[in-house]
Amino acid sequence: MKSTYNSHVKRIILGIIVVAICGYGAKRVLTPATFGKYGHYRADAIEEEAGLDIRHYTNTSCFSCHAWEAQTHLEGKHQSISCEFCHGAYADHVREDKKFAALPVKRDQEIVTLCMRCHNSAITARPHDVIKTVVLPGHLEEQKVKPTHTCNQCHHQHAPLKYINRAKAMVGIKEAS
Amino acid sequence: MNSAHEGSAYLISNYVLPNDLHVHWSMMIVLYPYLSGLVDGAFIVAALYYVFGVQSLKPIARFSLIFALAFLLCVGLPLNLHLGRPERGLNMMVTPSPTSAMAGGGYLYGVTFLVLILLILFLYRIHLVMQQQQSQGLKKLFYQVLTFGSDNVSAEALALDKKVIRFLAALGIPVATVFHGYVGFLFGGVKANPSWSTPLMPVIFLFSACVSGISGIVLAYIVIKKIRKAAIDVACVRTLINTLYGFFILAFAFEMLEVFSHSYLRTGYHHMVEGLLNGPLHTSFWIWQVGICSFGPLLILSGLCLFKVRDGVLVVGGAIVSFILLLQVLFMRWNVIIGGQLISKSARGYTEFHPEWFDKEGIVAVVFVMAIPFILLFILSRIFPLWLENENQA
Amino acid sequence: MDRPHLKPDFAVNPCFSKDRRRFIRKVLDGTIAGSLLLVIPAGAELPVIPEQIKGLRDKAYDIQKQQFAFIVDITRCIGCGSCCVADKREYNVPDGNYRTWVERYLKDYEDNVYVDSPNGGLDGYQEPRDDLDVKIRDTFFVPKLCNMCQEPSCVQVCPVGATFKTPDGFVLVDHKRCVGCAYCIQACPYSVRFLHPESKTADKCTWCYHRVRRGLLPACVDVCPTGARKFGDLNDAESEVAQILKGPGVLTVLKKEMGNWPALYYKGLRREVV
Repeated sequence: MKSTYNSHVKRIILGIIVVAICGYGAKRVLTPATFGKYGHYRADAIEEEAGLDIRHYTNTSCFSCHAWEAQTHLEGKHQSISCEFCHGAYADHVREDKKFAALPVKRDQEIVTLCMRCHNSAITARPHDVIKTVVLPGHLEEQKVKPTHTCNQCHHQHAPLKYINRAKAMVGIKEAS
Repeated sequence: MNSAHEGSAYLISNYVLPNDLHVHWSMMIVLYPYLSGLVDGAFIVAALYYVFGVQSLKPIARFSLIFALAFLLCVGLPLNLHLGRPERGLNMMVTPSPTSAMAGGGYLYGVTFLVLILLILFLYRIHLVMQQQQSQGLKKLFYQVLTFGSDNVSAEALALDKKVIRFLAALGIPVATVFHGYVGFLFGGVKANPSWSTPLMPVIFLFSACVSGISGIVLAYIVIKKIRKAAIDVACVRTLINTLYGFFILAFAFEMLEVFSHSYLRTGYHHMVEGLLNGPLHTSFWIWQVGICSFGPLLILSGLCLFKVRDGVLVVGGAIVSFILLLQVLFMRWNVIIGGQLISKSARGYTEFHPEWFDKEGIVAVVFVMAIPFILLFILSRIFPLWLENENQA
Repeated sequence: MDRPHLKPDFAVNPCFSKDRRRFIRKVLDGTIAGSLLLVIPAGAELPVIPEQIKGLRDKAYDIQKQQFAFIVDITRCIGCGSCCVADKREYNVPDGNYRTWVERYLKDYEDNVYVDSPNGGLDGYQEPRDDLDVKIRDTFFVPKLCNMCQEPSCVQVCPVGATFKTPDGFVLVDHKRCVGCAYCIQACPYSVRFLHPESKTADKCTWCYHRVRRGLLPACVDVCPTGARKFGDLNDAESEVAQILKGPGVLTVLKKEMGNWPALYYKGLRREVV
């Protein structure tokens, strides 16, 4: 077959047009359905993000079973603290209204570490109107207790001044008489 | 001076933001502009002959295009090695964001590839038609595809080819320029990084791309000719070296202007850029990029271009200076890309870069990626001979 | 002798605690009966959580009309790190990456500022810094998170439209579309984005969009014991954030010169913070 002088050029131009059309078609097909609804993105992604599982259920959910702890917690200075911060996320504890695993409870020196995260005076950035801070072992020496004492031996972790106030009341009475 | 007012006192604690510790754009991203710069530079060399008619460059005009093609074929490899989800890489062509420089990459690559491959196929058409007529079976089919099924090499056809070649070569200049220039803008448009954000970035990238392209052609030409024990066209090398001199002066001037502007204007986060260049990057920037690899070549090039030198000296000197400049451009890419990421957005510290050995973006992978274009060049030279005995085309 | 009346100790009387439990359940059921409506996506569990963002649940969510703001009050942050812990737990954030973090600033008598953020403040700040040989004059903590910019530079540079700003002002990531190029991470002036090591896509703080849509506060805001983090609906004129924003107090944003127009405001921000 003899080709004309410009047949190769014609075939190239035709080829480019065909590829461009196919490419455009592929682009239309491959672009996700909700793309461009609100902007240059897949609108379905918004609902996908909104539909993620929540893992923290706030204190109210904890209180719905742990009424006794709720009573103490809500009366004390720690009422603004999240149960889930110290104990772990609700989703690691309850699934479909049934407990499936126990949440860890801090013991011994772990409690001291946890308390000192917030209450250490040595870091001066803690405004006094916001939180009461102490230093260890100074605080223990001041209170005349053993240096191996953990915080929760005097302070109820859910209501830190509960026993302190009770003790003060008792001591107060003694002094009064 | 009261530290409360002194910007550089910010660096006293070397605080790096928690998410800034890791350098995300690693050696593969250094390689990408390096390779695409070589493509752009090689194309400009070819364009000097095909568009601007610099006759002394005829011996390497075709060679430059094949060289450019060899590098263009693998320029996507470092990018895909870098992507977290390379299987989704085509998303950039399906839903390219109109505000993202990176999104332009896919289409620009397509156009550049089309222009380059068409130019090569037109330039080699006579040779390819001859090959088609002389071969059988699968090889014949292969050459038929490359000639678009046409074996017409009449005077009319060749005259048309000449026009097409002029058109493609002229079109190729802005195409290749934008293909590499967009990379410069990709960095220049990041306001969050004080080392990157400058309008000069595309200009610096482009001029140093030309430097690397010319150097690559010179070095490859000399080495290949030496391996084949063939003659070197010294007039061609002389023109190339003179052009290299000109482009390098421009590239170096812009690189230094950038540093000098920052340190003079003393705006915003300049203390971070200064601290970077005088601190973590002191050796690789001042000693290597500027000292050994910029002042050295400036001296050598001045000697080669401004004075009468013997042919032998020119060839050896040209090869040496080309090698050093190829290093200079690599250092420049490294210092900008990786160096820029060492600056923490806290404006208070620098992180460190730790290259891996066997990571997909590691040192072994880099060596591999750098070797592939040369293998491709060899394969391509079997299809498109780098130098033809009968130079019939314009 | 008058003994102060001591409340009955519930631990001693188990019957009392069971009644208590039932009572609380009834109370909660009563108050939330009407408000847990259609807003929660079908098929999702209905948690026993009262609404935290007022008015969000009792009508359909009109994405075009919502506007939220986040305010961080530096004067109240004690560096406890509860926010970081809650955030990490809510999203199972991989180690070494941070959606939110807390920085500690120390200032000495020469006005030098020393900043650190050990593990992003995840373990809180137990001890003062022992590696500095200077007398410290002042300390404060700065929580940081996504600034939810109104002209986000991350959205501008994303090549595939995988990160975007929703009509209700949240900058989110489409994890099915992201190619992991990390351009958005380079473009964010606040360094709040990171590459998730498992999905290999970009990730960042989303102001707990999935919680906000259910009428809940972001996890970090909910757990903050001192009210240093505040979040609210700007359409609700009585919300704390709306009142602060419309009030005369000084609110600042980070790196204002970047031109991103963050929706995250700082109250009491110090000039040392970048």
